Amino acid sequence: MVRPTKFEMSQTSSGSSLTLSIAGELDMQTIEVLAARVDQNRKQQFTSLTLDLGELAFMDSSGLKYLIELNDRSQSEAWRLKLIRPRHAAAATVLRVTGADTFLPFEREAGP
Amino acid sequence: MAATVTEQILDRAHNAAVSMDERGLVTYWNPSAASMFGIRRDEAIGRPVADLIIPPRLRSAHRAGLERFLAEGVGPILDQRIEIVAQRADGTELPVEMTISALRDGSSWTFHAFVQDISARKTAEHEHERLVEELRQALRGSDRRFDAIVGSLSDAVTIRDREHRFVYANRAALAHLGFDSWAQLRRTPPAEIMADYEVWGEDGREITMDEIPSVRILRGEAAEPLLIRTVDRRSGDQRWNLLKASPLLSASGEVEATITIIEDVTEPKRAERRAAFLAQASEVLASSLDYQKTLRNVAALAVPDIVDWCAVDLLDEDGDRVSVAVAHTDPDRIRLAEQLRSYEPAQLDPERGLGLVLRTGEPQLYPEIRDEALVQSAVDDRHLELLRAVGLRSAALVPMRIGRRILGAMTLVSAESGRVLDQSDVVLAEQVAARAAVAIENSRLYSERSSIAHTLQQSLLPEQLPEIPGYELASVYIPAFESSEVGGDFYDAWEVDGSWMLTIGDVTGKGVQAAALTSLVRHTMRAVSEFVSSPAEILARVDSTLKDQRPRSICTAMCVRLEQSRATLAVGGHPLPLYITPGEVSEVGEYGPLLGGFPDVHWDDVALELAPNSTLVAYTDGVTDAIGADGMRYGLARLRQTLAECCQWRSADDVIQGLTDALGEFQVGAHADDTAVLVIRRRSPVALAPQQETAEVDRTDAVAASP
Repeated sequence: MVRPTKFEMSQTSSGSSLTLSIAGELDMQTIEVLAARVDQNRKQQFTSLTLDLGELAFMDSSGLKYLIELNDRSQSEAWRLKLIRPRHAAAATVLRVTGADTFLPFEREAGP
Repeated sequence: MAATVTEQILDRAHNAAVSMDERGLVTYWNPSAASMFGIRRDEAIGRPVADLIIPPRLRSAHRAGLERFLAEGVGPILDQRIEIVAQRADGTELPVEMTISALRDGSSWTFHAFVQDISARKTAEHEHERLVEELRQALRGSDRRFDAIVGSLSDAVTIRDREHRFVYANRAALAHLGFDSWAQLRRTPPAEIMADYEVWGEDGREITMDEIPSVRILRGEAAEPLLIRTVDRRSGDQRWNLLKASPLLSASGEVEATITIIEDVTEPKRAERRAAFLAQASEVLASSLDYQKTLRNVAALAVPDIVDWCAVDLLDEDGDRVSVAVAHTDPDRIRLAEQLRSYEPAQLDPERGLGLVLRTGEPQLYPEIRDEALVQSAVDDRHLELLRAVGLRSAALVPMRIGRRILGAMTLVSAESGRVLDQSDVVLAEQVAARAAVAIENSRLYSERSSIAHTLQQSLLPEQLPEIPGYELASVYIPAFESSEVGGDFYDAWEVDGSWMLTIGDVTGKGVQAAALTSLVRHTMRAVSEFVSSPAEILARVDSTLKDQRPRSICTAMCVRLEQSRATLAVGGHPLPLYITPGEVSEVGEYGPLLGGFPDVHWDDVALELAPNSTLVAYTDGVTDAIGADGMRYGLARLRQTLAECCQWRSADDVIQGLTDALGEFQVGAHADDTAVLVIRRRSPVALAPQQETAEVDRTDAVAASP
């Protein structure tokens, strides 16, 4: 039996900027929830998407892959992706170990 | 009346015996008659019977009857029991039962009457009538419509007296008990009514008369409502009834009678039982992929609530019928069924029963299986004996199918319960069969797919790790539990020009795509290693190969090159391997970015000397991400602890065993993710000597010992 993953997401928008704040775990199952929300909002043609991973506790390789794909997509669709670093060590480690924290568009430490 | 012997007998008879002639005068009067009527024999002989014992108001009818008989020979009251009122000498009346016979004595008639005093019985009956009347009065209260109301209630209502005789039964009660009239019911002793039914409790236990609520109340016990299942032995009709009884108290507070309301809950109860059965069956069918087992469990669920027997047969690939389940609550009966099966022909008759259902996919209902049918189908006497012993009464057979493909059939049989199966049983069985068919199909598809996946996965892992001089290798791969798909973890080990390449990695994704990608990564590494010795460079080549892939393909990997005691390794977004020496566990290598993810990246090699008895453990994140109780993950700290413990002077296989044991103990449930571990252990030169290893190995170790 697979344990249900703890996952929460909230959404705020200002003009054409959208912020999705994620808390909990990003893995193969919860990615689908996030992806569906992003796709749904893409129809409103946001020009900037901020994924706030501040409360992200855990991320596996499928979560990471999604972030990379989202970054690819922002470039091909010409919108801006901003990522906010997770504060939890486990999630931060995955980003550091894989080099994602260097190569993906994370905000500077201080944040906006 | 010269027959003195007859008179002597009659003189001693308990009943009064009175004879009279054509004129209506007494010719014989026995002692019982004397005491019954208070008139001595000598007072009675020669006097008109009418004056002696017939109340004045009935005398004219008596005389008219006598005259008519003498004139016309018609005696409607002769030779049968009649109840009539007689009179004593003191003028009081008494109810009697009397039989009168007329005998031809020469040219004239004599009449002989046996008279029984039934005043005791009558008193009881009067008492009874009074009680009924009182009850009616009481129940009626100010409303005079009692019988109109209670009589037309759809719930059966009965009232019984202290002897448990019926005092009242409304129309529904009469119908319920199978009587046409109140009079008919009243004549039948309660035990006899009960004998026509098998009565079972909700728990399947047989219920005795003593447990019936009204009887319990008469015993002075409290009586909870009782739910009973009755099977009419004559018709096989099964019903569920809820019996609720309450006492009727007399003025002095004694239980005078009991009222029972019998609520027929057959329909709701059957619906409830069926719904429960359907729900349980669905749950069982979804619980496991072992469909043979789940079908056996479903069959077991059906007995005895739904039917007495439940059997499931499947068709195998060759279209032959395979018996999967035969359920009955009694193991002896199941043995009976097994014996019966030996009589069945290898080839089922396609025009009958199971053969017909399996051929056409149409359900069959046999509501009444008669003995002639058994005789007809029996091949010999022993077979017939067995068929009769099973006591088939009724059967319903339904197909299990997916679309037009017939997978098998489910058979419901009613036997000792006497129940007659009907269309509703067919509908229920079809619902279960439909679910069963889906479960069977899913399970078959799954096992097929999972065996393909297994084969594919195996092809992605080395069949056997190579023998590396001076080293011991061991590995484990645990696929994620949930899917029958190919996972993304891999490892490999191969030789290039006297050195050895080992890798472990994780391709993100599942299924055929992941398999293709794994294959691409492994073969790229193997090919590139022929020309490039730096693990960092090998990762870079894999990275650029992955970047050519669409859609985006990413992979984490660790690659290490072993040259004698020296290890050179590079890591691309993968957990760093752990280097374990006695007393210390440390991560070795340097994180580089994952492969295929980012532009303008590079990797660095890190070199280290592997000491004798040291162990290098490379793993995928399935290990550290394993979830334990309270949602805790296994994590790096636990892994380090475990490895520190199990790497002490032990073989590579022991390390794998120790780690999988620790993971198994920690983990709650099955593996959520693929898990792979590769253990590289440097042998101790001391340990090698007795193992007759090659000279080359010894030399390698000698070099390692003095870097």
